[in-house]
Amino acid sequence: MIANRGEIALRINRACQELGVKTVAIFSEADRESLHVRQADEAFCVGPGPVQRSYLNIPNIISTALVTGCDAIHPGYGFMAENARFASICADHGIVFIGPKPEVIAAMGDKATAKRVMKEAGVATTPGTDILASVDEARKAAHKIGYPVLIKATAGGGGKGMRVVEKPEDLERSFKGASSEAEASFKDGRVYMEKLIRDPRHIEVQVLADEFGNVVHLGERDCSVQKPSHQKLIEEAPAPRLSDKARKNLHDMAIKACKHVKYSNAGTLEFLADGDNVYFMEMNTRIQVEHPVTEMVYSVDLVKEQIRIASGEKLGYTQADLALRGHAIECRINAEDASNNFAPQAGTLSKVVFPGGPGIRVDTHVYSGAQVPPYYDSMIAKIVSFGATREAAIARMERALRETVIEGVHTTIDECLVILATPEFRAGDYNIGFLPRLLDTQAAEAALASTAVTAGA
Amino acid sequence: MSDLQSAPDGIAARVRRLVESFVETDLIRVRIERNGDRIELGRPALRVDHNEVAEAVALAAEAAPARNVESIKSDLVGIFRLSRPAPLEGDLLEGDRELAYVEALGIRNPVRSRGAGRIAAILCKDGDAVDYGRPLFELDRG
Repeated sequence: MIANRGEIALRINRACQELGVKTVAIFSEADRESLHVRQADEAFCVGPGPVQRSYLNIPNIISTALVTGCDAIHPGYGFMAENARFASICADHGIVFIGPKPEVIAAMGDKATAKRVMKEAGVATTPGTDILASVDEARKAAHKIGYPVLIKATAGGGGKGMRVVEKPEDLERSFKGASSEAEASFKDGRVYMEKLIRDPRHIEVQVLADEFGNVVHLGERDCSVQKPSHQKLIEEAPAPRLSDKARKNLHDMAIKACKHVKYSNAGTLEFLADGDNVYFMEMNTRIQVEHPVTEMVYSVDLVKEQIRIASGEKLGYTQADLALRGHAIECRINAEDASNNFAPQAGTLSKVVFPGGPGIRVDTHVYSGAQVPPYYDSMIAKIVSFGATREAAIARMERALRETVIEGVHTTIDECLVILATPEFRAGDYNIGFLPRLLDTQAAEAALASTAVTAGA
Repeated sequence: MSDLQSAPDGIAARVRRLVESFVETDLIRVRIERNGDRIELGRPALRVDHNEVAEAVALAAEAAPARNVESIKSDLVGIFRLSRPAPLEGDLLEGDRELAYVEALGIRNPVRSRGAGRIAAILCKDGDAVDYGRPLFELDRG
């Protein structure tokens, strides 16, 4: 059973069809006309549009699996993918959860625990603390680490319960602010501290591990093109301008970490890179949105591997069997207004034409006439380009984005084209501060242009 | 009591059927008299266009009392089971009654008629897997 919607539901369905595995889709009333509903062998409505009542409705999801006789549930990403409780409920009902064991999901889902476990494994983590009991303790820690520091909620995510502290005077206010925000958002006010690394790169390592302790990595992805909200927009594999030493260090740490936590299935370790220094940030215990760039350069089907591993098969290959070839880039096409803070758009897609040709892959669930409901993530497609070199992959991506037509909502296509054309992106010389700075420049230029028009009138 | 009056709920359906059968023939006029009720159907020419058929059906429907049919839907995912004694199509319910239950995760979730009415249709078979929003019964509220 596929416990998800949108492009990832189609992606999982495709892997199942190719493996000869029958599928059951779940859908909300808002997704009745969705492609994943049509392409699966069976489809069950699990609730109305809002996610709490449909894609997060555990009783209806489990009941669907039981009445249709499903052996396994693939959670995709988001929704149930990193919900340890859901993974244990599946196990209680004799359903295989396609992912790691519930206790591993739980450990990695708690950021402070994950960091502690990684430290034990000998993985470099950003200088920082465990859970802080008091403001006094925080003050001492900050003095030792050195300002600026970051106070983060252990249950956190999406920037909630996070504060940057530049100087000692601000510490108490930020500590209390982060803690109460975390309490309000996650019912868990515990916070910890990390050294703030200014404008790092976000580099992550893909891993695959079977249930017999065999672990391989599938290289890294650079995901530093992020919106001001820290959501990724463009990803590429391999990471450009990374020294061989730093790259090897990343891969080795990822393998060490997985062996230490007895990881199984597909996973991603996210690191912050500051020059050649890399620090573990968090581990995602699921398939990721940007997995296709890795699939392109390693000629591997990660979703099929997830299913094989979950059904108890051995990896059947070693690190030496895996070779990276070429370069891949992914652009996320979101129904968002880039000129208005990436405000999500909902509505009918009056016309949709996707690109094709050599080296282009499109993962999408939308079509001409499809609805973009207001309830869900605004991503409507992923365009992936492959080339023998990074330059070739960029040229193909630009060509593909220009071929793409999406009418009815604003999209991120134009913004992606602007990014690809910048000297920074061309040179592979960018970090997570790059896109926010570019947007500021664009906004300033737009303001200047409108002033010029007024002056000329 | 006349035939037509004895089944007030069925008048619209009967008239509709009659009109449909009539337009399939080449007849110009038909008059049926029974127990004091009389119905007469006619048309000006042999060839009838579809608009006129639709109009005749619409007129017939207008003449009969409107039916108030409500569908009872499943509000969860599970296995549909008829309650005992099993309800039948045509049963007249005098008030709220449990018609069936949807078994989900070992729990029986009752499906009730939520008031009086006649069961116009039972849309699922005992043992069917049903999803959220699946129509289970049609109840004619009269």
